[in-house]
Amino acid sequence: MTAFDAGGLVGELEVTFDVDVLVGAYPDRDGPPGTPESVLAALAGHRVRAGAVASLRAALFDVRSGNDEVLSLRGTIGDSGSGGAGTGRDAAGAVDVIPVGTVDLRDPIGAVREIDRLEPLGVRAIRLFPDEQGVEAGFPSVRHVARRAALSGLVVLTGGDVRRFWQPFSGLEAKVVFLDTHFYHLGDFLVAAADEPGFHTSTRLLNSPDALETVPADRLVFGSRTPHYEPIVPLLRLATSGLTPDEVAAVAGGNARRLFG
Amino acid sequence: MIIDVHAHWGPWFFTMDVAGANLATMDRYGIALSIVSATEAVIYDAPAGNRALAEWLATSERHLGYVTINPRRQADAERDLREYLPTGRFAGVKIHTDYTRSPVSSPQTREALAMVAEAGVPALVHTWGATVLDLAEVCESTPGLRVIAGHMGADGYPYAIEAANACDRLYLEPCYSHAPAGRVSRVAAAVDRTRLLFGTDSTLIDPASAFGAVAAAGLDAETAELIAWRNAVRLFDLDITA
Repeated sequence: MTAFDAGGLVGELEVTFDVDVLVGAYPDRDGPPGTPESVLAALAGHRVRAGAVASLRAALFDVRSGNDEVLSLRGTIGDSGSGGAGTGRDAAGAVDVIPVGTVDLRDPIGAVREIDRLEPLGVRAIRLFPDEQGVEAGFPSVRHVARRAALSGLVVLTGGDVRRFWQPFSGLEAKVVFLDTHFYHLGDFLVAAADEPGFHTSTRLLNSPDALETVPADRLVFGSRTPHYEPIVPLLRLATSGLTPDEVAAVAGGNARRLFG
Repeated sequence: MIIDVHAHWGPWFFTMDVAGANLATMDRYGIALSIVSATEAVIYDAPAGNRALAEWLATSERHLGYVTINPRRQADAERDLREYLPTGRFAGVKIHTDYTRSPVSSPQTREALAMVAEAGVPALVHTWGATVLDLAEVCESTPGLRVIAGHMGADGYPYAIEAANACDRLYLEPCYSHAPAGRVSRVAAAVDRTRLLFGTDSTLIDPASAFGAVAAAGLDAETAELIAWRNAVRLFDLDITA
């Protein structure tokens, strides 16, 4: 054990639903390859029991084959996991994969066509990658996709700066998780979410000393961005937060399960 | 035991209230000592912030201070270094290049860092992206200067590896509000481990971020101990033993 042993601080915390999981690699950075096997092993090793999984292949190259890849992972997979290095976490366990459909905002017509294809296949959430696709919040495609998702009550998991990306979803009774909310911008999320009961935020970048404690607990959902971010960081922050045990359980999965129906 | 070489004291302008959080948070993560700069000094008024910090440090046994320098205010900097370094409550100098709009390579920051070298203490300098390479260049060309690259370039950590390998008086500390996978392990594998330090950016960022990122690197015991405190003791010439 070293001075940087996180296992004791995280304790027995289990995440029952992680809304921010990817398979695939970013070609523009030296990150992990993101094979499904390695991603699921990383989740299991951190006691993450279920994940909303989206495809970088779909986001960056080909929507249909990427989405089919995550659809093929649907269900409970695996029975063992290795703990994250230095995390002191080594629990074995299966991971329940909830496939998330990715759409390409550079092609709004094709995006809606892909939603039409995915919905009968049981997909309950779509994911937007505006930063990766070079799409701004004010582009018509974002509002077009937001309207279509809201029409079916789909959950939208969206990247992008929450100070801008709240707007295309406003007034639609949309169910949205802002995956990139940084604690610098927490005030903007809070005032936008006050008028939008469907607005939620991921915990991933809420790393200031009191951000988790400032957001209404029923609007917080655990997100790690495994395998491209270190899952131990949001785990550690949640485990050591000032939230009550019931609130921690809700953030660690209960809220997301309610949202996904 | 951990020494946090990048921490702050004072209020922030974001949606946060951290006034009561500091000591309990340090205890939680095993941080015995934090070296802090005053937020007021970093963001707005260096002399006023340094003065307030000096008064507060007199009440705390678990903190040392950085004298913050605004490179655009060299006379203030000279006076503050003369006044606060001899007190023994300040261990180094802090320079934030963004809040003062004084890039590392600017004439005023070069001059400020020369002043720090003459004072004989390390300087913690904010680095982001490729600016850490500029810090290595300035450090290499300033005799006797020892610098800590704050955030080790943040998302530009590959540049931090290059910088640390270009100048043996440049140290790295990892604090960053993002935690890209493998960032700390890649740096630890590529840089002289006697020049790696631990910093959190507390009270702006909870230590969970930096602590978790280092934990995820799975460092061997000896390297972890160097990063946790031994390297800081040597760099700041602190009277601390295990």
